[in-house]
Amino acid sequence: MTTALATHVTALRAAGRLAEPGPFAETVLGHLALALPRAPLTVALADGLTLAYARPAVTGVGPAGTSGEDAALRVSGALPRVPYGATATVLVLAEGPGGPVLFPLDPARTTVVPGTNLAGEPRDTLHLHDYAVAADDVHPLSPAELAEAGLRAALARAALIAGAAERCVELTVRHTATRTQFGRPLSRFQAVKQEEARLIEESALVGAAVDAAARELSLVSVAAAKAQASASVAEIARIAHQLHGAIGFTELGDVRLATTRLWSWRDEDGDESSWAARLGREALAADDVWALLAV
Amino acid sequence: MTATTDTLQLRREVRDFLAEERARGTVLGRPDSWLTGWDPQFSRRLAGRGWVGMALPPEYGGGGLGFAARVVVIEELLAAGAPVSAHWVADRQIGPSVLAHGTEEQKQRFLPAIAAGRCYFSIGMSEQEAGSDLANVRTRAERVPGGWRLTGTKKWTGGAHVNDYAIVLARTSEHEDRHQGLSQFIVDLRAPGVRTEPIRLISGEHTFNWFHLDGVEVPDGMLLGQEGDGWKQVTGELAFERSGPERYLSTFPLLVSLTRELRRGAATPDQQARLGALLARVFAVRQLSLGVADALDAGRPADVRAALVKDLGTRLEGDIVHEVRRILPVTADTGATPGSYPHHLAYALLHSPGYTLRGGANEILRGIITRGLEQQS
Ligand SMILES: Cc1cc2nc3c(=O)[nH]c(=O)nc-3n(C[C@H](O)[C@H](O)[C@H](O)COP(=O)(O)OP(=O)(O)OC[C@H]3O[C@@H](n4cnc5c(N)ncnc54)[C@H](O)[C@@H]3O)c2cc1C
Repeated sequence: MTTALATHVTALRAAGRLAEPGPFAETVLGHLALALPRAPLTVALADGLTLAYARPAVTGVGPAGTSGEDAALRVSGALPRVPYGATATVLVLAEGPGGPVLFPLDPARTTVVPGTNLAGEPRDTLHLHDYAVAADDVHPLSPAELAEAGLRAALARAALIAGAAERCVELTVRHTATRTQFGRPLSRFQAVKQEEARLIEESALVGAAVDAAARELSLVSVAAAKAQASASVAEIARIAHQLHGAIGFTELGDVRLATTRLWSWRDEDGDESSWAARLGREALAADDVWALLAV
Repeated sequence: MTATTDTLQLRREVRDFLAEERARGTVLGRPDSWLTGWDPQFSRRLAGRGWVGMALPPEYGGGGLGFAARVVVIEELLAAGAPVSAHWVADRQIGPSVLAHGTEEQKQRFLPAIAAGRCYFSIGMSEQEAGSDLANVRTRAERVPGGWRLTGTKKWTGGAHVNDYAIVLARTSEHEDRHQGLSQFIVDLRAPGVRTEPIRLISGEHTFNWFHLDGVEVPDGMLLGQEGDGWKQVTGELAFERSGPERYLSTFPLLVSLTRELRRGAATPDQQARLGALLARVFAVRQLSLGVADALDAGRPADVRAALVKDLGTRLEGDIVHEVRRILPVTADTGATPGSYPHHLAYALLHSPGYTLRGGANEILRGIITRGLEQQS
């Protein structure tokens, strides 16, 4: 599983680098969790939904509604800003009445409010009104699987960020080597070199954190990778744009394809504050903070 | 600068005016409104209060006041996110430049119109091969009977599609030293041979243009200053272009928006501390910036200090965007309600690459700062 994950993370970095359109990260993520048809998938980790048994058990032991005649569900609530939510099969992972579940969702049976992130990638909000899920479509998950899905989502997003960061480096190095001002390439100026070095360092830092989490998936490694990836976005995009000059600030330049994604992706699947806080809480609860980091 | 009763009174008047404008719905508290907030009606009402061309002499329709008084007005407008871009360039640099280098006829023609908030200018300096290396401009002006013929293409010309005139830097003769043989012309943007094409920002907004001059005939009377003095004049203009409060206040409206959001609930100690840290920094940069206005008023050289303020201030403009987003996380969204916090955040963010480029990239300014230090020692 670890090596499969590492392979997927490598593929996701490439997708992030190429600004690949489509729910690539989400499809990869979905296929990791379950054997499902090879089709565009997207994953919604839902905490704003209410799930109830469609046919509550009358003879069930315990409080009413905690068991059903079968697994069929009725679901209401909203799934905010689902990547490609209007056009892909949505895999919903949620806390159900009898424990965590996964079910595929047909967007056609929801109310879709289309939206986009800053890069123009679809981020559609799906409203479910007493949405019926057939018993056969409900896949029970263990609490550990549900928690792991959250970590995988964050790691996938961090891998995309690492890819887009590499792209910023690539485009910036190419631009400063070819753009001539004052009769020589920009890269020949000491000040440009210094900024470029900071960009390369910051991007490498993100890549290393993502790789480590892919090798050893854990709350700590993913929290560190996503917190660092998201936190580095500001500096990476800043330097890439600065060294591109005005062209990068317009549709005439390609660097925006990476930077607008970076600005969006750092928020998606948990921003740096939320992951840093989780890491902090983990560190405060641990006996030995060094042992926590140096597993 | 020490606040005098005059400036306190002035500040109060501007605030009252802004309150009225807010009620009218013209002042939306948008970040970076001096780049994209183009509203000629607003410009005229502002001029009606005497707040455009304030530093111009009264005989040309100006207020006859110093830079310090102008700074008071500008600060208030920028912090409020008022739509000042129509008259911005004319007020900030064309007025002072025409006053310093223009003929009597040019002064009569342009200064009263500028001060009335009715005459809008673009800056036609940059070109494809002349960005930071401005002396590399390729646009040329050839002598023709009674004037000049201008040929070339300017790039990133803000507002050329809506303004009345552009100040164009062109080569009038060849020299070993590229800084010689440049001249400035006032070009009517509706003259035959002028053509503009939009270049969209990453936000999708249109403010930049390609500005083509295909053999545009410019009468002798529209040469600004002496032929061949263009470089000196442009450098002088840059001192005005670089020193103002727009070099640290562009994203202040976003801080205002954040503060409003935080007041709705109970801010955590961490949020309070982070907001306070930003405000302390704005305060400190403002003090430096006011020092530049004082120096300009006293006729002291201010270019090194202006460069320093611009580097510090424009980086702070960007830092505010990112730190505000950390203090109160929200998804930046250009599709959110105009005027809402996520909407302001989206535009402040999408404009952020520009803060440290316009008016000269910060690296060039650091060069000015280091050269200034060398000269001092
Ligand atoms: C919002 C905005 C509004 C503008 N409005 C106008 C306008 O109205 N009219 C107009 O004429 N121009 C305008 N400009 C253009 C502006 O003046 C130029 O973008 C600026 O001078 C930089 O030139 P460039 O974009 O060609 O970048 P380049 O000169 O190509 O430089 C790209 C980057 O290389 C680095 N660099 C370049 N030279 C050096 C050096 N010597 N040492 C160290 N680093 C260096 C810097 O990081 C720089 O940002 C505007 C620009 C922006 C962003």
